[in-house]
Amino acid sequence: MSAHAPRSIDEYLKQLRAALEGQDPALIQDALYDAEEYLRAEVAAHPDKSEADVLELIASTYGAPEEVAAAYRDTEAKVKAALKTPVPAATSASGWKRFFGVYLDPRAYTSIFYMLLALATGIVYFTIVVTGLSLSAGFAVLIIGIPFFLAFIGITRVIALGEGRLLEAVTGERMPRRPVHPGPPAGWMKRIGEMLTDVRTWTTLLYMLLMLPLGIVYFTVTVTGLAVGLAFTAAPLLAFARWLGWDSDVTLFSDDAHIGGFVLSDHSMFAALILGALGVLIVTLLMHAARGIGRGHAHLAKALLVVPGA
Amino acid sequence: MDDSQARKFQKDLNAGLVALVLLAVLDRSTEDLYGYEIAKRLQKANEGEALFKEGTIYPVLRTLAAGGLLTSRVVPSYSGPPRRYYRITDEGRSLLSQWSGIWRQTRGFVDRFIEGTDS
Repeated sequence: MSAHAPRSIDEYLKQLRAALEGQDPALIQDALYDAEEYLRAEVAAHPDKSEADVLELIASTYGAPEEVAAAYRDTEAKVKAALKTPVPAATSASGWKRFFGVYLDPRAYTSIFYMLLALATGIVYFTIVVTGLSLSAGFAVLIIGIPFFLAFIGITRVIALGEGRLLEAVTGERMPRRPVHPGPPAGWMKRIGEMLTDVRTWTTLLYMLLMLPLGIVYFTVTVTGLAVGLAFTAAPLLAFARWLGWDSDVTLFSDDAHIGGFVLSDHSMFAALILGALGVLIVTLLMHAARGIGRGHAHLAKALLVVPGA
Repeated sequence: MDDSQARKFQKDLNAGLVALVLLAVLDRSTEDLYGYEIAKRLQKANEGEALFKEGTIYPVLRTLAAGGLLTSRVVPSYSGPPRRYYRITDEGRSLLSQWSGIWRQTRGFVDRFIEGTDS
């Protein structure tokens, strides 16, 4: 048991956070959210008692912070084991198998999807942040400035949660399932002060701004890689069709191209096969790159959107 | 020592039973319920020493929802953070009837030995 039983909701949450130390930040955010919902409802249900009196009984109803932390740890471990997507055996496989095994990994496909989507979400996020910040600055002198700023930050938090859910679906990285709790009811000025001093507010905005350049890069890399790679892969089919007598205007090589000592003429089957192999290589490398980028991006998102203990 | 063993036994039993009870509560309820309400209903039904701490139902609720057995929606609240209301899905109902059958069978089996009606 801890040194002393918590006497207030804040103290309880602090002990719960301490008991969950080292756990996934997303799990901590969820656990704190649930506890706060219960504790505030319990305090509100007993208007005749003080917060300290209600908290005194909490250990026997809701559970002490250590017990609750243990419940979350156990459930999380079980759920994680049950929901884990089986990763294709990569550790023992040979180099070739590992290289082409990426086609069996669902994460590679979802990452490619995410990279294509990133351009659209990047534009939307960037626009929201730039519009929201400039309108907040402009409205600051007016009476609607304060509610506008609150609504703007609220929207960014909802977006941060949604982006986290999307990334968890795409990459498997654990992200919060609950929004950040706004804390006890407080005046508008206090709310704004808290939002301005909260690191997460600013890192979330930074992430949303970053999404535009990142989205452009992701989208370009994916589209270029897919277009070039798939077109190259199709080259042998075209050469074969031509060999069968299909007359088409499509040109594989504009002029006779030279690779090493070979002359690649437009009608050479050999050239088409080389091109096809190159295409497969490009697409496979793109799949690997997408999986890696997806993973890296999830870590970036977690660092900027989920701040442990914030 | 005795006490901690009893607690461990209770905990092991609860591992699957909490999920069953939560599904049953939501199945019987005519309206959507949120975590605190569910906790209070269980507390009322449970006289004397609590079988499980109310804090342990939240992670289970979330797991059930993630598994598609419950759906949830968020409603703002005056007293604290927005509440998440849960409702059982058709999938949850069919699992509940399956689990209830298993539970009755298990209970009957265990009772036969404990009550000594087997001899």
